[in-house]
Amino acid sequence: MPSESPSAKVPVEERLFSLVLALLATENGLTKTEILSTVQGYRQSFDRSGDNANLERKFERDKDDIRELGVPLETVASPGDPGNNQNLRYRIPRGAYELPTEISFSAEETTLLNLAAMVWREGSLSAESRRALLKLRSLGVTADEPVIGYAPRLRVRDAAFEPLNAALGRNALVRFAYLKPGEAESRVRTVAPLALVQHQGRWHLYAEEPGATVRKTFLLRRIVSSVVTTGTTFELPEGDLSAIALRELEEIWNRNTAVVEVEPGSDASTRLHKRRGTVESTPGSLELHYSDANIFADELAGFGPEVLVISPDSLRDAVRSRLETTVADHGN
Amino acid sequence: MQAADKLTFLLSLVPYLIERDRVSVAEAAEHFAVKPELIRDAVRLIAVSGVPGETNTYQSEDLFDIAWDDFEDNDFITLTNQVAIDDSPRFSAREASALIAGLQYLSSLPENADRAAVASLTSKLSRGASAVPSQVAVEGSETDATLALIRESVTRGVQIEFDYRGSVGETERRRVDPLRVESVDADWYLRGWCHLREAVRTFRLDRIENPVVTDEPLSKAATDVQLPDTLFEASPDDLVVTIDVAAAAEQLLGDYIPDGAQRSEKDGRVRTNVRVSHYHGLKRLIASMPGVAYVVDPPEARAVVEEWAAAGAARYR
Repeated sequence: MPSESPSAKVPVEERLFSLVLALLATENGLTKTEILSTVQGYRQSFDRSGDNANLERKFERDKDDIRELGVPLETVASPGDPGNNQNLRYRIPRGAYELPTEISFSAEETTLLNLAAMVWREGSLSAESRRALLKLRSLGVTADEPVIGYAPRLRVRDAAFEPLNAALGRNALVRFAYLKPGEAESRVRTVAPLALVQHQGRWHLYAEEPGATVRKTFLLRRIVSSVVTTGTTFELPEGDLSAIALRELEEIWNRNTAVVEVEPGSDASTRLHKRRGTVESTPGSLELHYSDANIFADELAGFGPEVLVISPDSLRDAVRSRLETTVADHGN
Repeated sequence: MQAADKLTFLLSLVPYLIERDRVSVAEAAEHFAVKPELIRDAVRLIAVSGVPGETNTYQSEDLFDIAWDDFEDNDFITLTNQVAIDDSPRFSAREASALIAGLQYLSSLPENADRAAVASLTSKLSRGASAVPSQVAVEGSETDATLALIRESVTRGVQIEFDYRGSVGETERRRVDPLRVESVDADWYLRGWCHLREAVRTFRLDRIENPVVTDEPLSKAATDVQLPDTLFEASPDDLVVTIDVAAAAEQLLGDYIPDGAQRSEKDGRVRTNVRVSHYHGLKRLIASMPGVAYVVDPPEARAVVEEWAAAGAARYR
């Protein structure tokens, strides 16, 4: 039987584990007082006659942490006394907690999921994947191929990615300063995040402004402030939002065409030839597609004299002025 | 492990143990890819955990129990009493979406072109999640044919050979043991053991030309080599350059900033060091971040960048 000593420190995971067990085992739910006075990890600090405000706060945090892990912790109002918070009951309904029995994964599928989890090199997606794999392994299926060290990895470089991904999971409105192409000053936007999509290697946020029906795509690279997650939540619209976002980006990419001349045998020639959709119209002259003119201009400027933009004029001017900026920043 | 990971581990280990009847610590550790001690700690904790029960006092019938002698003497686990948990937990919405996005990324690679398998797994993960997975997606684009050759060389256990242009402009034939493929934004990199340099090197896929899968067996496997976290390998011959970069863009240079680099921040601009093998790589990098980053020191580096950009600008006159 667990230690009764009030001074014995119960590790966090033991308290959380005991809470999940207690709430899974109850049919009708437990009140907060029942939980704090009986569940391992709380009961040691419970004061029958006194103030348990600290313990209650600990319970509130634990509840949030458990829900973050996908455990469906429910609140049930007491039928006789609906307005009374003290009589709220907490439980974890078994059906919503357990993986449905018809879902199973073959050894081959397990191998593929192991690889999928390794894709994320760092950050929250990597932590989420790691936890998903623990749950997958609890099913006892072994992968048919060991995970080899050779596995493709994806690094996410945009600082805005992590907070946006977290807000996406909570359906919370976000606020950030955004520098629109062609504008000198950034503007603060508050939007409902719908999807995060990677198109041609760049991450984009698909979002809608609260109250408006128009959806917009924001390039993460152009978010120039930190992302603030607000306490306001929204209802996620129906539909395969990421597929819609990717389709719209693809249309823009197809529409934007540039013609550039490349120095034969140069690094620019090798690399631009290998870009998706590149057509060599005449020798040394390439037709290229792009989604964001400013970002593409940065890329082309990096090639220095190896590239000459022929059209469109706006891109030609953008590359030229970038090169002049770099000259000015490095001259004496 | 963080508390969240530990809790997930406990909730995952219990159904596995229920299913397995009697299993050795070593086998469980291998299955979950964790150290045996972590399994033992978790089993000890599970064995004294349970529910408050009718009496609210955690009586023995309300607790898990294990065959203690078999555990202590033989390092085997058998659950002899179980409470509250029968089955594996669902995935959280974010866990499911992380795996789904990972699957999409894999399906854009030539060797994982099995779209049907990916679609079926995506559907299973969605149904197995406690809420609708959030929408994170990676475009399934066609990729470099070189990737398929790299995969072939790994599968066959042989070296790959290709022409590679260094950033100074010289082209050399390289023979490489592929260790890992990584992508950063739109750029793909091969990391491997280079037989010419006898060291780990990183190659841009779009600079690789005339790749051929050879018959030479691999000398290094991915598990033999500890790859550094940063994409580029430090060398004692590296040049250190002081740059000034907009704070928001600092992360983009992460792979070039050495550990323990000097750093100061003022008015949204960061002054720090990058290391480069020579100034010719630096000039391309800096010219692609106009107005965002510039070289402060040394003067020779500033001159190389200026000359590069000036030659580019001259083409428009």
